[in-house]
Amino acid sequence: MGEQFASPAVTVVTGATGWLGQALVHRLLADPSRRRLRLLAQSTSEGRRLESLGNVEVVIGDITKPDTAARLLYGIGADVDVIHTVGIIHPKRTRQFLEINVNGTRNVAEAALDHGVRRLVHVSSNSPFGTNAQTSDSFRATEPYHPYLNYGWSKMEGELAVLDAVTHGLDATIVRPPWFYGPFQPPRQTTFFRLVRAGKFPVVGDGEQRRSMVYIDNLVDGLIAAELTPAAKGRCYWVADARAYTVNEIVATVGRALHDEGFTVKEPSARLPALAGRVAELGDRVVQRLGRCQQQLHVLGEMNHTIACDISATCSELGYEPRVELYEGMRSSIRWCVEQGLEL
Amino acid sequence: MNSTAATAQMHAEVLVIGSGAGGATTAAVLAQAGFDVLIVEEGEWIEQGSVVPFSLQQMDFQYRAGGVTVALGLPSIAYTEGRCAGGGTEINSGLYRRPPEDLLQRWATDFCINDLRPEEVMSIANEVEQVISVSLVPGPPSAPSDVLRRGAERLGWQNSEIPRWMKYASGDASSGQRQSMTRTYLPQAASHGARLVTGCRIDQLQMADGKATRATTTLGDGRHGTIDFRHVFVCGGAIQSPALLQRSRIAGYIGRSLAVHPTVKLTARFADELNVPGDVPVHQVKEFAPDLSFGGSASQPGLVALALSDQWRTFSRAITDWRRMSIYYAAITSEGRGRVRAVRGLRDPIVTYALTRRDRALLGSGLSRLALLMLEAGADEVYPSFRGAPVVRNRRDLATMQSTFSAAKASVMTVHLCSTVPMGEDTRRCGANSFGRVHDTTNVWVNDASLLPTAPGVNPQGTVMALAIRNARRFAATERPRG
Amino acid sequence: MPSASRLRRLDTIVGPFADLLLTADLPQLPDARRAEVVEFVQRRANGVPSFTRFGLTVIALLYRGVMAAPGGRLVARFLASKSIPLLGEYPRLIRSLGYAYVWDRWPDTLPTGAAS
Repeated sequence: MGEQFASPAVTVVTGATGWLGQALVHRLLADPSRRRLRLLAQSTSEGRRLESLGNVEVVIGDITKPDTAARLLYGIGADVDVIHTVGIIHPKRTRQFLEINVNGTRNVAEAALDHGVRRLVHVSSNSPFGTNAQTSDSFRATEPYHPYLNYGWSKMEGELAVLDAVTHGLDATIVRPPWFYGPFQPPRQTTFFRLVRAGKFPVVGDGEQRRSMVYIDNLVDGLIAAELTPAAKGRCYWVADARAYTVNEIVATVGRALHDEGFTVKEPSARLPALAGRVAELGDRVVQRLGRCQQQLHVLGEMNHTIACDISATCSELGYEPRVELYEGMRSSIRWCVEQGLEL
Repeated sequence: MNSTAATAQMHAEVLVIGSGAGGATTAAVLAQAGFDVLIVEEGEWIEQGSVVPFSLQQMDFQYRAGGVTVALGLPSIAYTEGRCAGGGTEINSGLYRRPPEDLLQRWATDFCINDLRPEEVMSIANEVEQVISVSLVPGPPSAPSDVLRRGAERLGWQNSEIPRWMKYASGDASSGQRQSMTRTYLPQAASHGARLVTGCRIDQLQMADGKATRATTTLGDGRHGTIDFRHVFVCGGAIQSPALLQRSRIAGYIGRSLAVHPTVKLTARFADELNVPGDVPVHQVKEFAPDLSFGGSASQPGLVALALSDQWRTFSRAITDWRRMSIYYAAITSEGRGRVRAVRGLRDPIVTYALTRRDRALLGSGLSRLALLMLEAGADEVYPSFRGAPVVRNRRDLATMQSTFSAAKASVMTVHLCSTVPMGEDTRRCGANSFGRVHDTTNVWVNDASLLPTAPGVNPQGTVMALAIRNARRFAATERPRG
Repeated sequence: MPSASRLRRLDTIVGPFADLLLTADLPQLPDARRAEVVEFVQRRANGVPSFTRFGLTVIALLYRGVMAAPGGRLVARFLASKSIPLLGEYPRLIRSLGYAYVWDRWPDTLPTGAAS
């Protein structure tokens, strides 16, 4: 880790209304060194909501249209960083993976290259790398692609589009978060809390498979470190909590966090044989072959596997230090849900 | 050391069957302790340098069945066994790894092995390293070896040069002279009076009340004979040792838990010439050890053709470029198990092996990681050894490769065979006691790779030798030579 | 069930099949070289361990039966080009032995089998 960039004159964020986007925008707004924020919104109503947060410029547009990214960067100088958080994980149709995760990312990378931005940070995923071959394995900083179904394939193609632009001179860094949790979470995560409360979260197999997770604020730390570390050009980094958790540990910890926030929690009872996970995975493959996506099947199919990553290169090269662990992160996540008036 | 021709009737105080890493060390220790030792080897004495290392000619002379031996399964796993004076030590890569200390500890606990003290084994390993001249390459590594180092460095993966039991005449990596059993422990045994007989196969041990008294033999010319003895050490390797015990109707946990390091391969093509026909790379990548290790294989043009043969239709055009190519492997520690079964009326045992789901996944991700390392080291093209494999030129091709891979389509092979007569006091999972005496026998010992309770995850010869010497010393300390 | 005498004569069953495969795969391999390779493959086939030998004989006889039928050589070549479980192990073994020998003995052979 060497010197750090100063905050740029303009920070551009795509996907600002998403889970990660909202958390990032809140952080940037709280930082006085961020002089200008320019955000991409999909609609005028979204735009109005973003403008209510504070001093931001909003551009309305659809990232899948080639001119949107150019409009997003129009009229600002070269001292610009772009943080591209747009992505779709549970669409209705598989073709949206191509439109948003592949073409959308290519549009951003090409516009950033044409514009000559200081740094593009692209948010990828663990999915281009599939699952670990065994429980004790962890993905290293550089791994061969082995995409998990259509989402994984689209995130791989997105990464390749960015890396392709890097060979043409773009300064970009890729950040790969695994499963994240924390405030601003979408409704599907509320379901997760409800299932744990009811003791019905389906633990597949022996539950000793490991999952890397990342608390949303840890992820924002990692994104900003990737943005501001000059030596990170062309590199890819895992951003996750300090260690991977077993599924058993995740369920127990979430149960404890719910209990300590004053909820009643039933003993976990839902255990599924490993075979159920394999059947779900097979079902997911068939459904996706038909061009559709079924969220429950997808989640259950993946739940059977270990997906663990090794963040040591991220720590040594970006100076990243995960500050929050599972229990604490889950508690703040639960409190956020309560504040939002969500039923858990 | 000279071998003598076998005769129809022979006798010895101690009969040692097999002359490899286990047999040669056993014979040396016992001869030195004053026992009258006869070593019987099925193969012939082939002087080092008289055949080209890793060639088909060597396979003819020094491998069992010319190297065409296979553990049946889906997929079947090709394996090789040495069949000559010195056994596997004459033909293997010569890479030396110490027995891993934590593994010894785990074996002692899991298999109830008495008195398996890591510090004792390590001190024996020290002696062994002197005798067989374990040393690093004096000069720079060979180009194929440097590929492993370079690729691993770029990825930030742990790698190191593995020392070999070689004496180097000059500073050149290829000037090594392997310090195999025919150069070290066999002459040492002979200097203390041990006799070596080659071209003699042991068919059976005649047993009475758990005691073996006589071995029946087949000589090179097809005649049969016998050998009388007081004690017998079976050191034929992890396939032949259990097979002989089974043919001799010795019951117990024998031949039921064959362990190997299943291995898949690829060939990488570079811009510059790098092929070294007579040698193997000395670097190994241990980032994912012990589950997964990468290293280099012998890469004669014939072996390159063999490696390309699985997908010959699209790979064959590369063969004219063999000077720019070298073969590499990914080896795993398997959770699967195999069996060795002697069948009445058949000369050779039936060997089977079943990979687990996790083994198959690990072979696929291992081959993929190895291909990534090759690209990082600057390979122009990578040819994975499985049917339907794509030529890998870039990162995207790696995704195609791993999605088309299945272990059943791969040429899976192995060289490290062990664990068919595991040592330990737990008779439900051990064929021999804590010092290698076969359970329920009084004078039949096993002292070779068969005793290793599990596959060690490293080149096993060092572990085999250290344990064999430990056991032989224990024997010499408790049994008096007749004198 | 192959008889004992056939088991002993595995080489003569394997020979014509090896010749067929090598002619198809390496059409320009000179005749004298092909004969040498076939002899090597026969020798190795004869040396395989008992049980493998048994399986090899069964499959080799099957292929020999196919080759003897009208148009059978084409069918045998077609079968050998597919990776059929178990049955496919036989052509795979013959090929791997054959190619290894060709390039071990004459390293500069072209992919067609032609001497460079």
